[in-house]
Amino acid sequence: MNYEEHKTGNQDMESVQEYGDNDSKTVNVGAGVRIEGRIDGAEVSDISGTLSGTINSSNINLNSSGIFNGDMSGSDITISGNVEGDINSDQYLIVNQSANIKGTIEYSSLQVSYGAKIQGTIRHKGSVHSYTPNIEPIEKEDETENHENDHEEDV
Amino acid sequence: MSIFGSNEKKVEEKTTFNFDIDKENINQSNLAKDIKIHGSIEAKDYIDFAGHITGTIKSSTIYLKPDSYVKGTITGDTITIEGEVDGDIQAKDLHIKSTAKIKGNIRYTNIDIQNGSIINADLFYSS
Repeated sequence: MNYEEHKTGNQDMESVQEYGDNDSKTVNVGAGVRIEGRIDGAEVSDISGTLSGTINSSNINLNSSGIFNGDMSGSDITISGNVEGDINSDQYLIVNQSANIKGTIEYSSLQVSYGAKIQGTIRHKGSVHSYTPNIEPIEKEDETENHENDHEEDV
Repeated sequence: MSIFGSNEKKVEEKTTFNFDIDKENINQSNLAKDIKIHGSIEAKDYIDFAGHITGTIKSSTIYLKPDSYVKGTITGDTITIEGEVDGDIQAKDLHIKSTAKIKGNIRYTNIDIQNGSIINADLFYSS
């Protein structure tokens, strides 16, 4: 009995692991599919259908047939479809020609292709530093480096 | 006599036009780095601007070079920005290059933005 239980338990674990390995942290919303709700902790999200709600994924790809309503946050985001809401990108945000965006964009690096439509507010993250790039950031970097060195010496 | 008069004017216009093409491209104005302007610049064809201006720029084609600074409004058909702008931009074709820093309002029909540019602005699309 114990052996059998052990065996079945192992099988379950294996099947779970296999499933997890194959589809690890990817979300695919196919064309014509509608989803409402919250997606969290995904690594790669590929959206060709309609998604309403909140998505939190490191890579987000909204294809030209994709429609998104709500809050979107991730590091690398590519938009080719329609967005109504907020986009928050930590690294690269690419807006393709077919994109139509209404809302607020927060970005670190933004590339927009000729023909894309954007209506709303664009904010650059950490623009306090980058607005006076000639003098201030260099001094600050030196300070942080010195502090780090102090720590190392103390240890 | 009146017909003759109008012909004469046309010839004059053509000659001046050809003269411009021979010398440079069509009515091109170049404003260098060390120029500082408080006021407005208005031109028909092309402005190549590298200086500082507090005021307005109006032309069909405007090219703002990397070290340029504009505080005020920029209006044109085709605007290319490589410098810093604090104010309102209105363009049919707007090209924002990697060195650009923009703060304010942008009204456009077509836009493209290069990697590296720093934009804190409200965008308004109009067809």
